[in-house]
Amino acid sequence: MPEVGNAIPHESAAGHVTGTAAYLDDLPRRERELCVVFVGSPVAAGRLKQIKGLDAAKATPGVRCVLTHKDLRGPNNFGPILSDEPFLVEDELSYIGQPVVVIGADTSEAAVEARGLIELVCREAKPILTIDEAIARESFIGPHRHMFSPGSEDDQLFQAAFDKAPHTIAGRFRSNGQEQFYFETQAALAEPCEEGAVRVISSTQNPTETQVVVAEALGLGMHQVVCECPRMGGGFGGKETQSALTAVMVSMVATTTGRPARLVLSRAVDMAITGKRHQYQCDYRIGFDAAGRILAAEFAFHSNGGAFADLSTAVLERTMLHADNAYSIPVMRVTGQVCRTNLPPNTAFRGFGGPQGIAAIENGIEQVAAQLGIDPLTVRKANLYQDGVAGRQQTHYGQIVRDHVLDEIFEQLAESSQYERRRGDIEKFNASSATQAKGIALSPVKFGISFTTKFLNQANALVNVYTDGTVQVSTGGTEMGQGLNTKLKQIVADEFGLSVDRVRLMTTSTEKNNNTSPTAASAGADLNGAAAVNACKKIKRRIREYAATLLANVEKGFVASPEHIRIEGGMVFDDRDLDPRARLEFGEFCGIARRDRIDLGARGFFATPGVDYNRETGRGNPFFYYTTGAAVAEVTIDRLTGELVFDRADLLMDVGKMINPGIDRGQVIGGFMQGVGWVTNEELLFDDSGRLLSTGPTTYKIPNITDLPGTFHVDFIANTKHVKNVRLSKAVGEPPLMLGLAVWLAARDAVAAVAGGKPFELALPATGEELLMTLTKLSVPSEPRGTKPSVNGAPTNGAGASKSAARRR
Amino acid sequence: MRDSIVLYVNGTRREVGVDAALQTLSDYLRLCYHPPDDERLTGTKIACSEGDCGACTVLMGTPNESGTSIEYQSVDSCIAFVFQMDGCHVVTVEGLRNAGGLTGIQQAMVDCHGSQCGFCTPGFVMAMHSMVEEHHQQGSQASHLEEDEIRLGLSGNLCRCTGYLQILQAATAVDLKTAVAMEQLFESQAMLEELVRLSRSSVCIKPTKGDPRAVAVPRSLPDLLQFRTDYPNARLVAGATDVGVQYNHGRYEPQQVIATSKVPEMQTLGIEDGELVCGGAATWSEVDKVIADRLPELHQVLLRFGSPQVRHLGTIAGNLANASPIADSIPFLFVAESSLILASRRGRREVPICDFYQGYKQVDLAGDEVIESVRTPLPPGEVAIKLYKISKRRDMDISTVTAAFWLELDGEQITEARVAVGGVGPTVVRLPQAEDSLAGKPLALATLAQAGRIARGLVQPISDVRGSADYRSQLIENLFAKCYYDLSSTLSVPVS
Ligand SMILES: Cc1cc2nc3c(=O)[nH]c(=O)nc-3n(C[C@H](O)[C@H](O)[C@H](O)COP(=O)(O)OP(=O)(O)OC[C@H]3O[C@@H](n4cnc5c(N)ncnc54)[C@H](O)[C@@H]3O)c2cc1C
Ligand code: FES
Ligand code: FES
Repeated sequence: MPEVGNAIPHESAAGHVTGTAAYLDDLPRRERELCVVFVGSPVAAGRLKQIKGLDAAKATPGVRCVLTHKDLRGPNNFGPILSDEPFLVEDELSYIGQPVVVIGADTSEAAVEARGLIELVCREAKPILTIDEAIARESFIGPHRHMFSPGSEDDQLFQAAFDKAPHTIAGRFRSNGQEQFYFETQAALAEPCEEGAVRVISSTQNPTETQVVVAEALGLGMHQVVCECPRMGGGFGGKETQSALTAVMVSMVATTTGRPARLVLSRAVDMAITGKRHQYQCDYRIGFDAAGRILAAEFAFHSNGGAFADLSTAVLERTMLHADNAYSIPVMRVTGQVCRTNLPPNTAFRGFGGPQGIAAIENGIEQVAAQLGIDPLTVRKANLYQDGVAGRQQTHYGQIVRDHVLDEIFEQLAESSQYERRRGDIEKFNASSATQAKGIALSPVKFGISFTTKFLNQANALVNVYTDGTVQVSTGGTEMGQGLNTKLKQIVADEFGLSVDRVRLMTTSTEKNNNTSPTAASAGADLNGAAAVNACKKIKRRIREYAATLLANVEKGFVASPEHIRIEGGMVFDDRDLDPRARLEFGEFCGIARRDRIDLGARGFFATPGVDYNRETGRGNPFFYYTTGAAVAEVTIDRLTGELVFDRADLLMDVGKMINPGIDRGQVIGGFMQGVGWVTNEELLFDDSGRLLSTGPTTYKIPNITDLPGTFHVDFIANTKHVKNVRLSKAVGEPPLMLGLAVWLAARDAVAAVAGGKPFELALPATGEELLMTLTKLSVPSEPRGTKPSVNGAPTNGAGASKSAARRR
Repeated sequence: MRDSIVLYVNGTRREVGVDAALQTLSDYLRLCYHPPDDERLTGTKIACSEGDCGACTVLMGTPNESGTSIEYQSVDSCIAFVFQMDGCHVVTVEGLRNAGGLTGIQQAMVDCHGSQCGFCTPGFVMAMHSMVEEHHQQGSQASHLEEDEIRLGLSGNLCRCTGYLQILQAATAVDLKTAVAMEQLFESQAMLEELVRLSRSSVCIKPTKGDPRAVAVPRSLPDLLQFRTDYPNARLVAGATDVGVQYNHGRYEPQQVIATSKVPEMQTLGIEDGELVCGGAATWSEVDKVIADRLPELHQVLLRFGSPQVRHLGTIAGNLANASPIADSIPFLFVAESSLILASRRGRREVPICDFYQGYKQVDLAGDEVIESVRTPLPPGEVAIKLYKISKRRDMDISTVTAAFWLELDGEQITEARVAVGGVGPTVVRLPQAEDSLAGKPLALATLAQAGRIARGLVQPISDVRGSADYRSQLIENLFAKCYYDLSSTLSVPVS
């Protein structure tokens, strides 16, 4: 029985429910272990003049070391793309909480006491916090990027396309950032090893990068650093690069003192100092005809990158690559610029810029529909990529979108969700309700799978088969709850024809798998699965060759023939020999093979074929394939309070042949609800000094179980055209997040019903405040129904809305 | 009088002194080595330390009134202190091992893919066990949990990975008939007997020469008032759902504490002469049981007050004494014109609730006093009540704005109006001018809208993390109209 395709539980599920699955803070205390704390910048911008109290801190009983940038052994800068971020502040202060001093002490009380003795004397400067401020001061990171669709390079031709379009709309759309809110905060434990080496156990999506960064900071060779990640309590991109600082701090303390050192950030500190999903601003212009067909489009993105580059330029690139979402737009220009501000460096978060690009075009679609007075679904259908239809399949960066079932998804979902009927019901409801407004939206996602940085599209895997026929698998992929290890287990079990319980996934470690990519870009199972298969194939080739001679039976006329060897059902046998006694149990066979000096271990490698992209020209095939899907969402808004109730969701996705339908379903639901959080109630608020105000779940509201819609359907569509990738599966991690936009679009649809044709921009997230203030602005000053006052109250002069917007960075 | 805290952890007796007593329960569980296996109980996870995520959920068992069995409820161990657990049996996820394999709840979570990263999972498992316990305690005949019940029952547990649907399905799959009860896992008459004994003796860990710290857990009102006099600097702690958060945020360091939650005289709950009498130490989950039928509007607010974990510990006196302008119980008590009974060794006095609040977090409470009880006149039949709790997220969120409307009606005529609002000033306030504009007018949209405009002019909210000043003003204005629409739909007054 094949294991792939079964919805077996997560490999750690029993550990999760019993609390025995250990996270970093649960690992046994090491002997003489030190507790690590740090002192962060009190200001968002300025210069560090002096650090007072270092000696007093060092003299505090129980304190073992107090370290500054002077204690680094290598260059004081790092960064995954541009190496512009210091490990510890030397001079310039770039965001509130930026680490300056690191303290290692016997107890947390001693460490905290020492921290209290340190005073950072700073010369404060006026921080840049918003995109607008950054643009005004030309504070940028990386170049201004362009992506012009074939044929739109020429300015005049480009303008002509707009001139010819019967209708044009333009506007500015804003989306706010989002906190990853992985449940386990950033955490690392470093253990000094012999000869100056160090072992770092880190809650990281990126063990190799951690190894590199720690080696650089400590002036060690990479061979002197091992980074391990047993599991994470969630990552979502937040531990792709930003786990590095924690790892460096504990490693500095460990190597300085010769003692193990651990740091687990508190939620408040984690939220205050780590980067998040980027806030964006998009100026757009769309030309279209009476049928809603988009003829030309222009999107100019600015993202709030925070203080350092981190992954911002790559995130922006993915935004630009997703500004088309699922729509074929003949003439399209996309530009982008990352802004440098005095916030913590923003970073990866599930979707990696894709959501902001998709939100921009989907907002545009709604505006187009409103202008024409037609259903947005009509506009969406009119613009969808068409498989195999000339003129309807090329993206603005030149890649052909092929082998997809977008049309079928739309058709099936509109049908199963009864979109048309509900649209009618909602119109009736809205016409009769003075207190509530309902909205509905069907929106798609087309998400490109692969790292847009080509070299990252590689993985290696180590497969060890033991003499009892059990198997250990190690890859560079990290387990953060997404079920990678469970899928790998199923894939490898099938390779050897074993049941899953005979395969075990081992702790991720740079000791076993070197030079690996982060577990990101939804590609964890694709890359590591293919590498594991490659390793299994090598072992199987040796098994076949050896078994061929072992099982050859001259009497029966079976000469040694590897192609007749089958490794199936826990057995190794020659398929010509029907005698059950001629079959060897897999473990027994492995024992024999070892005694005959057959190598039963292998390392596999995989590099995604055919992905290439030229950043300078903005052209190429960055993606191996696309994962697609669509969602219908319905909401009800209280017109008097702005409160939103999410009534119903219908999701339909093409994720290929699922390796584990239970896990994939979980990814779809979980990703979707994370997207719902981004577009509704997750609101990052900073004060005027650049300090994050929403630093915990009390003030930062991720979805609650009661926010689940009352009706929630999740389904998958078959796609026989998809003939790529490991076991014909598709990546599933990120794409469903963008389906959460359907809820924002439904909210926008509800507001539009009240707006009665007046144009408006709704910001994202659509919090109760954003909805109420938008509704209030839209409500007509003169009392609409004769003597009755406006249900949304007296009109304000709009100052209220702009004041509240000022709090959103 | 005892001088140590005694609790049971997963069936094992623990007796602790001042150090452990003043730790949070989760620190105590996670950082100390516990018998019988010298184990740190790290199954209880910490993801926020502010009572908002439920990852740290454990069960707190206390003997029932008759002393015949132990009743278990979920609590957030990150914001509870160990001294609060005196005389309690704490069950952590590790305690479920006694089942000899996975419990039905755990198995359902495994089978339904209820965990992804797993960090929130032990908390969900314990919260589900708490729901099952409640069914067992009530002798319920239900075979499965209802979906609405699950949603509310798990609203104190956040999960970032799963999107909840599979957790909901797991909870739905649990068979209540076969689901294991704590009683079966910890069959110990000796433990029950000791817990009952402990519930009768007060604890006082006195300061010593070198150590000023003190912990008092009085088991009678006289003891409480005595301690209050003896330790004038001690902090009263009831459920610690406010104090615990302040402690974890470094805004409060417990030196001397007096627990108020174990004083039987302050746990009374009942209706006397048309008045609802709530002992100060009554928890919100207990209050809710008494008022659910009589005050359906308050019941609706309490369903959204914090989470089950918070309501199992949080008390009415704590809510009132904490004096937050967005405390959810205050607006109703303002319009109902409740009064507080304050007790000290000097005697008792009664203070109308409006007079209790004197400024931002300033209350009329002397250093030796405690809130003994709260007396609330129940609204007569001709009074229509509407309560509003507006928050960013519907459930498990602190309010941005609150409002209470008390309208005495004579047919469609408003004869008297009382309106109180919160979140728009340093304290909850009544709005006399708006009330005046309503009195004597018909219950009509124009009347309410006019009063709303007046109300808007009376409040001066600030902008903060929960909302801008303009948003709050707009809400205050609109809630009057909303009150009209809500009442007109229930009173069948035509909408126009
Ligand atoms: C996650 C979470 C969600 C919450 N949600 C809500 C919500 O929705 N609505 C809401 O209103 N509140 C909410 N709260 C706040 C809190 O739960 C309530 O205020 C609760 O009623 C406090 O009661 P307590 O017994 O826990 O108080 P404690 O924290 O024990 O004490 C609070 C204050 O009251 C004093 N005090 C306690 N008892 C007495 C007494 N008998 N006499 C005099 N003073 C006394 C204490 O000294 C302290 O200053 C929430 C808290 C958390 C952690
Ligand atoms: S850790 Fe979040 S509620 Fe306790
Ligand atoms: S499974 Fe990760 S937070 Fe719930």
